[in-house]
Amino acid sequence: MSAPVKSGKSPKWAMLIDTTKCVGCLACVAACHNQNELPVTEFFNRVEEQEFGRFPNYNRRFLPMQCQHCDNPPCVSVCPTGASYKRSDGIVAIDTQRCIGCKYCILSCPYKARTINREHGFVHKCGFCAVLLHNNALPACVGTCPTGVRVFGDLNDPNSEISNLAASKKVVQIGKDLNTKPSIYYIIG
Amino acid sequence: MSFDKKITRRAFIRAAAGGALASGLAVGAVSCGPKNSQEAADGTKAAADVKKIATQCQGCGANRCGIYVYVKNGLVWKVEGNPRTYNNAGTVCPRGHAYIKELYNPDRIKQPLKRTADGKYEPISWEQAFEEISTKLNLIIMDNGPQSVFWAQYPMANMPLAFRFMHALGSPNTITHGATCFTARNAAFNATCGALPDNDLKNSRYIILVGRNPAAGVKLQQIKDIADAKRHGARLVVLDPRHSETAVIADDWLAVKPATDLAFLLAMLNVIIEEGLYDHRFVEERTVGFDNLRDAIVTYPPEWAEKVCDIPKETIYRVAREFASYKPRALIHRGYHGGYGASYFNSFQTARTVAILNAIIGNYEAVGGLFMPLKPTLGELEKGGHPAPHIPEIEKADGAGVPGRYPAASYSDGIVQAIPELAISGKLKAGFVNHMNPIRTNPNPERVIAGYKKLELLVTIDCFMSETAAASHYVLPESFFLERDDHVDTVHSGPVGQLTVVAQVVKPMYDTKPLLDIITGLSKGLGIGKYFNFTMDELNALRLQPFGVSLEELKREGVVDVGPRWVEGFKPCKTPSGKIEFYSSQLASWGLDPMPGWQEPLVSPNPSDKNSFRLIHGKQAIHTHSMTANVPYLMQLSDRYDMIRLWINRQRAEAIGLKDGDTVVVESDIGKGYVKVRLTGGLHPSAVWMPSGYGIFSKYLKTAYGKGINYNDFLNTYFDPAVGHVMSNEIIVRVSKA
Repeated sequence: MSAPVKSGKSPKWAMLIDTTKCVGCLACVAACHNQNELPVTEFFNRVEEQEFGRFPNYNRRFLPMQCQHCDNPPCVSVCPTGASYKRSDGIVAIDTQRCIGCKYCILSCPYKARTINREHGFVHKCGFCAVLLHNNALPACVGTCPTGVRVFGDLNDPNSEISNLAASKKVVQIGKDLNTKPSIYYIIG
Repeated sequence: MSFDKKITRRAFIRAAAGGALASGLAVGAVSCGPKNSQEAADGTKAAADVKKIATQCQGCGANRCGIYVYVKNGLVWKVEGNPRTYNNAGTVCPRGHAYIKELYNPDRIKQPLKRTADGKYEPISWEQAFEEISTKLNLIIMDNGPQSVFWAQYPMANMPLAFRFMHALGSPNTITHGATCFTARNAAFNATCGALPDNDLKNSRYIILVGRNPAAGVKLQQIKDIADAKRHGARLVVLDPRHSETAVIADDWLAVKPATDLAFLLAMLNVIIEEGLYDHRFVEERTVGFDNLRDAIVTYPPEWAEKVCDIPKETIYRVAREFASYKPRALIHRGYHGGYGASYFNSFQTARTVAILNAIIGNYEAVGGLFMPLKPTLGELEKGGHPAPHIPEIEKADGAGVPGRYPAASYSDGIVQAIPELAISGKLKAGFVNHMNPIRTNPNPERVIAGYKKLELLVTIDCFMSETAAASHYVLPESFFLERDDHVDTVHSGPVGQLTVVAQVVKPMYDTKPLLDIITGLSKGLGIGKYFNFTMDELNALRLQPFGVSLEELKREGVVDVGPRWVEGFKPCKTPSGKIEFYSSQLASWGLDPMPGWQEPLVSPNPSDKNSFRLIHGKQAIHTHSMTANVPYLMQLSDRYDMIRLWINRQRAEAIGLKDGDTVVVESDIGKGYVKVRLTGGLHPSAVWMPSGYGIFSKYLKTAYGKGINYNDFLNTYFDPAVGHVMSNEIIVRVSKA
């Protein structure tokens, strides 16, 4: 697994999810689960399935979803203790020591990307595998995908694959009208 | 997992883990406090002790992916794919991620067990187990001969130990699950081109999948190569009654009527031959029987096929012409279970037609076509002074490979669904079942149970108390794959030979043993101890001897390439003629049809009964056979994604008053069961589709018990007359609202 490309300045992490390649195998969900040592019933990511048409003119689509690491994150605005915060590298993080488990953030997230930890009572979610990024490795969901659905990288590096893809006309951001400014870009076939 | 709610999995694992690290390489330590895994990115917490060990996943049999297992503070944490192993190329499927945690599943068998008079199980010592089993087996062999003993096993890399053990006893009856899975396909490719080829999907320009779904019957390398080929402009055609997960990324989904793929393929042949689109030179130089073939297919034009298979003739013409236009960089995937592995009465001829269609465009041993994988020949025990027992001359009890019985059946796979009848008729008296669960995965469980209960001695070797284990006289716990060293393996060989190995990651948690130690323990009391006087390290060193690769190096790297790389160019086939045989004289000599031709399915739904359907089945990416249903995390995914549902065509369902999510009763002459339905436009109207990994009824498997139903509950016991395969989609059911 290769490390994300790094530019000279501090990174701005982003991900592209190409749904036209997704076969819904859930390897990304299982990899995330192990990496973050989650209890059996708690998840940081999911894959939604959508169906179109009638037999035999039928198709379906798998749509991987998780925290969008918004640049204008509603979860951060509503947090009464400052536990949810935006890092300089673009990651929306949670200081679980300051989280009181009020769940305002869970309600405010339009992507349903946050979950409560039943053992300790704090809210947690996808953190772009910051631990792995710190060690120059890719997030768990990216590395395990057999069809290369996910591209991860640094938007502050103008030569990175993610910078080129994010600027492309074929990408969309989910819930753009909500002005959340997500860091995850999608190709929707 | 039925844990007390106050105990989390993490806390449980911490408490349950007795296993210390066996060996390994320390990697950059990362921190992960028990309360907060994200903040640790800043490196502010105390560093955890993390080690990364290369081994081979055993979460399914087909891939055995090269993986790195991470162990944190002595506990198995996560896996990553080995980027260099052919079958997975750096990735891991959901089962592979979840399966490592089975190490800590409380349902594991923790010591040898013996069934008591009241049907319960009591722990016994290994010494007692070995002594009692060998004493009983000696008496059975004395009275009935060694051919009354069988060994059934899912064919993992350690299967040669089973052959050795059975041959030493004098029995030919080693049997795999093959007849329920892939033997029709293998027999057809053996007859046509002498062996089973691999697919060069990555370099292909036009790919046809016939019932094959590598996205869910997971082959990571195949789905990755298909995605790569598509990125470079290849077209993907999926012929499948169901809109499979691979169909999601296909250019064409052709919703063939189940059991009629053969008609579609014969019509493709018809078009390619009638229009002269085949590779004339290849056909002339590398094949035999083209004239017979031209005569055989003349009656199968697309105008005929469209009425049989429900694919419009225009589509058949188009696909046939497109396929041929890309020759030789086009292929029909060799297939696996779905479509024609063991599904239908006409599966053998369907697979023959697939093999012939590939040959007719000259794609054998061509870039973007089919090629024979370069599997290296491993070193043998003989070289280390451990002579092999003679292969018994007596015929296999199941008739596999026996002229007049199942001549096209695979000798080494046997016919597993024959075991119950052979037990009832008294031909088989004792059996060992290892890493396999025939009572759940063979047709008609009542019959299978009745047969296996008839055995005077049944010994199951497994990690979990499967249905078969729960019907056994003795249950011997095999160490989990993370706890043991096992065989050097060649399963990753494709365009280059690759060696991989199962390496111990943690010490055994319980009183369990690897298979070699179990067989060695049994062999002493059976008088065949001289065949098992080596260690796993000695065995593996001998396997590696021809390659100049040390076991230490292989364990460190996880994979080593050996031998030359594949190069394009035809190589002689292992057929009688050395060529690709359209006309098979071998099949003719067995009294079988030497040319493919249309065969009606064995059974068909009743057209005047709107509740009558063919029951077909298939895999989901999160489960392996019946083996992973008890993995708490995977069953959680099944529930969360509502995957334990019977697919049914929306219009057909609405015609019988069904709504999405309704519970239906499914009935055949064999069985009856209840399941929720998923109404969809993604299924041919004549069929209902059932995911295959559910319906566990062993009460010892607490996560999986009672969840969902299984197609085997509805399947009659069939034996294809040539190959002996199980014909698992020849099921007619009535579906109605419960």
